[in-house]
Amino acid sequence: MLSPKSKGIPSGNKEGLITSVKRNYLVLFLILASLALMFWAGWANFESRRQQAARIKAQHMALEPEAENAYVSPLQGKPAPAFTLNDLSGKKISLADYKGKAVLLNFWATWCAPCKVEIPWFLKLREQYAGQGFEIIGVSSDDLDKDDKAQLFQQKAEISKFVEQQKMTYPVLIDGEAISRPYGGVDSLPTSFFIDRQGTVVAQTVGLVPRDEIEADIKKALGGN
Amino acid sequence: MRFCKPVAAALFFVASVAAHAQFPTADKPQQSSARGGDSVRYLFPEQVTIPAKKASLVELHFRVADGMHINSHAPHSKLLIPTNLIVAERPGVNVSAVDFPAGADFSFSFSPKEKLSVYAGEFILKAMITAQAGQHLLEGGLRYQACDSNSCYPPKTIPVALNITAK
Repeated sequence: MLSPKSKGIPSGNKEGLITSVKRNYLVLFLILASLALMFWAGWANFESRRQQAARIKAQHMALEPEAENAYVSPLQGKPAPAFTLNDLSGKKISLADYKGKAVLLNFWATWCAPCKVEIPWFLKLREQYAGQGFEIIGVSSDDLDKDDKAQLFQQKAEISKFVEQQKMTYPVLIDGEAISRPYGGVDSLPTSFFIDRQGTVVAQTVGLVPRDEIEADIKKALGGN
Repeated sequence: MRFCKPVAAALFFVASVAAHAQFPTADKPQQSSARGGDSVRYLFPEQVTIPAKKASLVELHFRVADGMHINSHAPHSKLLIPTNLIVAERPGVNVSAVDFPAGADFSFSFSPKEKLSVYAGEFILKAMITAQAGQHLLEGGLRYQACDSNSCYPPKTIPVALNITAK
């Protein structure tokens, strides 16, 4: 049925038909190439998201054991660096004065909001464990202008006022900066060191940590583990 | 030619899709934390041109590192250390006033009732500067005290330098 018509196609039209077929092939090729590119882009997107999800999961998994084990101090297991500092009345106090006691050495400052949160916990924990030979030493890291007597007097007065307001009944020493270095450069507050009866650092916390963690570290320092 | 337009449109669409796809290449660098380092950065300007002998307002842009905040110029408690701009006196240039933005209210999660007045992200100080004709280098520092969500860091001063051309 087709032959009469095909026979009757003029030569000019034939060339046009061939060009049209070629163009169709080209279009078909381009469409297939486009689909392939779309598929590849989709796959790339999916693969990227899958890898990102895997990375987040890995980070999450890496964080969990850290939360359980908490921060490990470079001083852990080492003797607590010896020091002598003045308290607010000018009396010299040394770490050696607390030999045989478990000590929580807490670095704080009047301008440190998280430090204020710990203080009521410390007061209760001190009361709770004092009978077992536990003591807290607060070390103020507030700047002291030692060359300017008037300024120094003012700064000490501000620390005293804070101590009074917070009802800090445990010993408070000043000029924490002077002993920051041997304690690893205390650059964030609050920071606490837990020292056992033999004078060994058994734990350190940096920043505000839950009360339970502080209590667990006190028990560690007392030798209860 | 009747196929060309749809094909071109399809290709453009595919190219757009491909351009927006996230390819599994090298990781993006992680944002660094400012712990222990500078929590605040002076952004700009490094130089300004102002009319000579006429008080001019110059905006100084700073940025607080992500996850950190600093006390505003007027913190709610006297115990907290306010943010301040310290300017070294120089002949021929004078900073007559500095306008600090109001702080945003912030509470630590462990103490939600206590409101602090802080700067976070980018903030701008407006300095009123008068200078004699010529080139001047204004040197100073921004003193601040920073905290993150559960730690605070000792007060720090970062340098601020500004080249002033007055004409």
